[in-house]
Amino acid sequence: MKRTLKIDPVTRIEGHAKVFINLDEAGALESAGLVVNELRGFEKILIGMEADRMPHVTARICGVCPTAHHLAACNALDHAAGVTPPPAALLLRELMYLGHIIHSHSLSIFVLQGPDLVLGLDADPAIRNIVGIVQANPELAKLALGLRSIGQKINEMVGGRGTHPVTSVAGGIAFVLDKEKLKALKEWVDEARGVLPQVVPAVKGLLMRALEKHPEMGEKWIVSSFGMGTVQDEAVSLISGKLRVIDETGATRLEFGIEEYDRYLRESVVDWSYMKKVQVELDGELHDYRVGPMARMNAARRFGTEMADAEYAEFARLGGAPCHATVFQTYAKLIEIVWAIERAGEILRDKAIRGETRVPVRFQGGRGVGHVEAPRGTLIHDYQIDERGIVRAANLIVATQQNYSLINRSIEQSAQSHVIDRPDDRALMNAVEFSIRCYDPCLSCATHALGRMPLEVAVRRGAETVKTLWR
Amino acid sequence: MGEVTVNTEWLSDCSGCHVAIVDLHEKILNVLEAVRIQRCPVLTDIKEYPHATVGLVSGAIRNEHDRHAAEQMRKSCDIVIAWGSCAVFGGPAGAGNVHTPDEIAAAVYLENKTTIPAPPPKREVSPLESVVSPLDTVIDVDFYLPGCPPHPVFIFEALTALVAGREPEVNRRSVCAKCKRNMEKTEVTEIRSSFDGIPDPERCFLSQGYTCMGSVTIDRCLAPCPTNGVPCTGCAGATMQILTEPNRDIRTEIADRMSRLTKIDRDEIVRSLERSSKSHYSYTMATSMIGCKPTFQIKRWIEDEQADYEAGGCR
Repeated sequence: MKRTLKIDPVTRIEGHAKVFINLDEAGALESAGLVVNELRGFEKILIGMEADRMPHVTARICGVCPTAHHLAACNALDHAAGVTPPPAALLLRELMYLGHIIHSHSLSIFVLQGPDLVLGLDADPAIRNIVGIVQANPELAKLALGLRSIGQKINEMVGGRGTHPVTSVAGGIAFVLDKEKLKALKEWVDEARGVLPQVVPAVKGLLMRALEKHPEMGEKWIVSSFGMGTVQDEAVSLISGKLRVIDETGATRLEFGIEEYDRYLRESVVDWSYMKKVQVELDGELHDYRVGPMARMNAARRFGTEMADAEYAEFARLGGAPCHATVFQTYAKLIEIVWAIERAGEILRDKAIRGETRVPVRFQGGRGVGHVEAPRGTLIHDYQIDERGIVRAANLIVATQQNYSLINRSIEQSAQSHVIDRPDDRALMNAVEFSIRCYDPCLSCATHALGRMPLEVAVRRGAETVKTLWR
Repeated sequence: MGEVTVNTEWLSDCSGCHVAIVDLHEKILNVLEAVRIQRCPVLTDIKEYPHATVGLVSGAIRNEHDRHAAEQMRKSCDIVIAWGSCAVFGGPAGAGNVHTPDEIAAAVYLENKTTIPAPPPKREVSPLESVVSPLDTVIDVDFYLPGCPPHPVFIFEALTALVAGREPEVNRRSVCAKCKRNMEKTEVTEIRSSFDGIPDPERCFLSQGYTCMGSVTIDRCLAPCPTNGVPCTGCAGATMQILTEPNRDIRTEIADRMSRLTKIDRDEIVRSLERSSKSHYSYTMATSMIGCKPTFQIKRWIEDEQADYEAGGCR
C-alpha cells in the first residue's frame, strides 16, 4: 500500500516547513522533500520605497539573520552610490556582523540542534528542547546561552538593536564608538574567549558521540556536491571578497565579483514548495551546490586566526577536505564562532576603529549589488535605484535556497537510514529533522526572495548617464 | 493563577519576535522557571496545540495555513496576545496589499531576472489569501504588543504580569519620549532626503528637515534609532492618538510638527509624505485602523507616484 509519512511542522528550525516522505507499494522510498509554506513578496514590496529604507526593511525578511540583510543592503547601496565607507565604518560593520555570527551559530548549535545532541535523537519530544538541556547539563547550557547573549549584545551595541539593527547606512555607520562602549565590547569578547576551552571540546564530544551512536550519519549522510563561498586572500571572508565555486573534488571552477552573480546563478520553481532552488550554471550545465560554513571552509584555504586555523586542520583530518558529510556542518559552525571571537578581538585592538564613520552619498540612478556571507551562506541583494533615491526593482537570492536541493537529498538519506524498514517508522523521524537542522535552514529568508528585474535602458552622454529608463 | 503555560505560534513574519524572547538573556531563565513553554515551534518539538494559559501569536495572516494556525491558537489558549507589529498591524508583509497575490506570484515565478520561468507552485502549499490581515481580523485578541520586535523589556513585563495575574503595564508614549535630541526652531527651508548631507547628531531630525516618524510611533523600542543617528521609520506602528482620533494621521501629524520647527510649508511636507507613503506606511498599511483614516488613499498615492515616475516626471 502506498503511504506518506509527514512531519508538520518541522520544529527547531527558523520558519515554517513540513516534510513529506512518500513510500511505494513495497514500502520503498518513492520521493521526499521539504515543503516551505509561506510567501510574503518582499521584492515586490520594496519597489517604490526610498533606498535608505533598505537596510531597515530588508532586515525584516528574517529575525534570525537580520544583520546579514542589513549589511548586504548597505553593500548594495554603497555600490549603487559608488562610495567606499571610511575604515572605521568597515571595521564597525564587521564587528557588528561577528557578534551576529556568534549569536546565530550559537542559537543553531545549542538551542536548535543541541537537544538532539545532548538528549539524543530519540528522546521524549516533551523534554527535547533547551529546557531539557538546562536540566540535563546546566553547566553547558549556561555557557552556551551566555555565548549567544554575548554575540547578540555585541550586535546590539554596534548595531543599535540586536534583532533588526539600524546603524549601518549607505556610506558608513551613523554613530561613533565611544570609550565606554569600547570597554564593554572588549570585556564581552574576553569573556567569550574565556569559555571557548570548555565549549569547543564539549560540542565536538557531543558530535562524535552522536556519530558513534548513529554510524550511518557518518557513512551514509554524504551529499557530494559543488560548493560556493566568499574568499579573500585565500581566507574565509564574510562581507567582502570574490565568490569562488568549487566542484566535488574541491577544484576551483569559477571566481566572480558579486555584480556578475546573475550570469551564473539560476533559480528554478519547485511545484510543491514556495521556495525556489538555486543552481550554478557552468558551461551550459546546471549544478547543485552547497553554501554556508562548511562550503566556505571547503572553498577557502584558511581562516587567518590562530585557534580557528588549528580547528580548520582538525576538521580536515576528521571530515576530509573538501568535506561533504552533512553532520560536519555543525563543526564548521563551531569553528566560525571561534574565528568570530578571535577576529572581534583583533578589530577592538585596531586604533582605526575610532575614526570618522561616514561619507556623504548621492544616487545618480543605477544598479547596486551587494552581498554578505550570511550565517547560512551567500546572501545577495540587487537593486535598481533612480536618481531620486527610490528603489525601482529588486532581486534577492538567499542562502537556504542554494542549499535546497542538498537538504532534500539529506531528507532522503536520513529517512532511508533511520525511518524506512524500521518496525516503528515514527520513532526516529526526528533523525530526518536533525539532518535538516544541520543546514540551519532559514525559511523566513527563503520564502521572501522574489521580484522581477525589468528591462533597463541607460541614456548616456559621453561617460555621464543622463537618464535611466525601466519597464 | 496556577501554573502558567505558554503556547507560541508564528504566522507570516520573520521570527524576530521569537528571537526577542531569547534576547531576555539572563532573564530568560526567570521566565523559564515561572512559565512552562509547551508549543513553540522554534524551541520545542510539540507539534500539537495543547491547552495553555497564554498564547503569543506573531505574524500576519498571509495564507490559509496562517488562518488555520491562528484559529487553533485561539481555541487552545485562554489569553491571546497579538505579538509584534505584523500581528498587530500586518507589518511589512502588509505592504504587499498594494499588489494582488497573482502579481506577487508572477513576479516571483514568471518574471524574475534569475528565475527560469514556470507556473507558481500548486501542490502541498497553502494558497495566498487575497490580502494580508492583522491577527484581530481573524480571531479575538486580548492584548496587543506591537514592536518590530517589541523590546524584551516589554515582553518581560507582559509575561511577568500575566504570571502574577495582573494586567501588563505598558506606556502610551511616542518614540520621542526616549530620544535625547533637541527639538528646536530652525531656518531650514527644504525637506531633505536621508542622503542630503550627514545629520547633526544632537538636533531633532524634524528640525533639520529630515523625515523622522518618532512623534507618530508608539515606544515599544526605547528609541534606538534616533539615539544612534538614524531617523525613526515607524516599525512599532502608530501612537494611541493616531489610532484613536479620527482626524489625526501619520502624515498630517509629522507635517504639523516639522512645519512648526522649520520654515518648510506644511502642505509641501504632506505632499512629500504621500509620495513616499510606501516607505512611511510600510508597517501599518494592512490595518483598518490606519486604512480607514484620511489615508485610505494610500494605494492611489503609490500608484500615482509610480505613474509619475514612468512618465519620466521629476520632483
